[in-house]
Amino acid sequence: MKTPVLPLLIIANLKMSVRNRQALFWAMFFPLIFVGVFGLFNLDELPTTSIGVIDYAQDGVSAALVRDLESVDNVKVKPRTDEALARQEIKDKKLKLLLVLPAGLERSVQQRAPVGIQLVFDESDPVAAAGVSVVRRFLAQENLRFTQAPSVLAIASEGIRTNKTDYFDFLLPGFIGMGVMTYSIIGLASMLAVYREQKIFKRVLATPLRVSTFFTAIVAALLVIAVAQAAVILLTGIFLLGGHVYGNYLYIGVLVLLGNSVFLAIGFIVGAHVNTVQAASGLGNAVAMPMMVLSGTFFPTETLPPILENIVAYLPLAAMLDALRGVTLDGQPLWHFGKELGILAAWLVGTFVIAVRSFKFR
Amino acid sequence: MSDVIVVEALVKHYGDVRAVDGVSFAVRRGEVFGILGPNGAGKTTALECIEGLTAPTSGRATVLGLDSQRDALKMKEQIGVQLQASAYFNYLKLREILELFGRFYRLRVDADALLAKVGLQEKANTVVNKLSGGQQQRFSIAATLVNDPQVIFLDEPTTGLDPQARHNLWEFIQRIHKEGRTIVLTTHYMEEAQALCDRVAIMDRGRIVALDSPDALVRNLESPYEVRFTVSGAAGATALASLPGVRGVREEGAGAFTLHTADTAETLPALLAWAAHHGARLVKLEVTAATLEDVFLKLTGRALRE
Repeated sequence: MKTPVLPLLIIANLKMSVRNRQALFWAMFFPLIFVGVFGLFNLDELPTTSIGVIDYAQDGVSAALVRDLESVDNVKVKPRTDEALARQEIKDKKLKLLLVLPAGLERSVQQRAPVGIQLVFDESDPVAAAGVSVVRRFLAQENLRFTQAPSVLAIASEGIRTNKTDYFDFLLPGFIGMGVMTYSIIGLASMLAVYREQKIFKRVLATPLRVSTFFTAIVAALLVIAVAQAAVILLTGIFLLGGHVYGNYLYIGVLVLLGNSVFLAIGFIVGAHVNTVQAASGLGNAVAMPMMVLSGTFFPTETLPPILENIVAYLPLAAMLDALRGVTLDGQPLWHFGKELGILAAWLVGTFVIAVRSFKFR
Repeated sequence: MSDVIVVEALVKHYGDVRAVDGVSFAVRRGEVFGILGPNGAGKTTALECIEGLTAPTSGRATVLGLDSQRDALKMKEQIGVQLQASAYFNYLKLREILELFGRFYRLRVDADALLAKVGLQEKANTVVNKLSGGQQQRFSIAATLVNDPQVIFLDEPTTGLDPQARHNLWEFIQRIHKEGRTIVLTTHYMEEAQALCDRVAIMDRGRIVALDSPDALVRNLESPYEVRFTVSGAAGATALASLPGVRGVREEGAGAFTLHTADTAETLPALLAWAAHHGARLVKLEVTAATLEDVFLKLTGRALRE
């Protein structure tokens, strides 16, 4: 009786993947460990800047300045009397900034005579440098107020994003991309190395099974695993860690399948160039880790130099994450991401051709 | 057609290495055919060319009339292959592996019956790396049987096994042979070739240097027997060499001698008469037949295991 081989072979591959408990653990929980670590940081609030103030003026204007400064977000005003001691506090990093208000401030303002306000800070401290620009802007505003110049240009800021999202929601698609990519590239390359080392390929080659059937089953099983990975990460993120997803889950599934197909092809290419598990893990990491960092898994790629930002946008993981975030954060439909889908499709064709040409079934 | 395998002028070069350097032979239906040779003689490469796993540089091999290269898929349907030190999927149980391999031939197999055939019925739900070395080899023989092949190739089936496990495996090989299958095996153990094989091809440096039944190979040696003894008193090598049947004398020192003889029935009485005549006493007298080891030594000038 003739029976088809593919279904049983796919089931066998799934069994093997699920029974390889260690690899499965890393596939599912490695991204979740990152989720936990990132959860420790309170990333949505800016740190508070403590500003010491020495008030030599002790008049109405200086009092008004201090009062206004206290109302600025993320600023804590600390009155000081001894300037030398306060400067030492800057050096000891107990204060970020020191504002010195000179005597006769009110008179200067009334006479419209320019007056110097001293701002002391530690140049090597990036947070202090950011504080300086906050204080500058604050003083410019106060200037306008005291001189009673009319506000000609007013900014009316209007947030167009209607969904409530935070940094964790930004990270969640990143964890999915990182999880499926590392399992597909490093996991598949290692598996292929084991098959070659232990002559399993050769043993299969001694049967009439077609090579294409053998690999089709591997790819099918790993795509199922990738969708399961994405589901576990999403569900954990949403129900345990309070993340939000506003898009269609079907679109997420399509993006995971498309992106992971590229990663599997890369896994085959890596697997074609290594003979041992250690080499597979090494080369796989060398490919996967830079891509993970450069593709904006943890931080938006806008912080990269512009030239690099334009280049990394063409990495498969970056394209996958851009589209994924558009879906999960903004609830956009898949067809808004023609460019990203095009990039992934181009990668898929290119890596598939290279994989087929470079892989030796030995 | 009584020849199930025909190998004609098979050559396989890897760069400058002539792994197989012009090999021709035929295997008859129903026999156990051995390829005996030291490591690196080219046995495995020759076998893999015949099995369709490796493309020969030149020459050809047919199995059951099917060309190993052109009709590879059809040919693979008909044969069972055990590779040297090959593993099976680590995370599948024995029963699952056999069912899967059966499916590679588009067959539904009775995995438990196959396992019972090699005495592993109780291990059906075990994974391969939990088996002992002997059990793993037995399992790999069961795996060659999933398609009920008429021709089975075993590459060094007992390498690395202890003597007991080896003898145990020989029994299973003989059992599947008795089912009417033709078996081709490679080995570097001459005892194995002698115990299992109907005919043996002795291979060295990519060539076959002799091919016959183990008995005939030994018999065809000029002096297929050895007579060893230690003698007290004076004895001259020249006198011993002139005894009837003796083809060579080796003095081992301290009065010990080895005589190579073509006919023990002639040599022994003469030796005893010579000892009585000279008043010499023969101690530790023993007569042994030469082995394939001696055949190999004679043919190549080197020992089988170096």
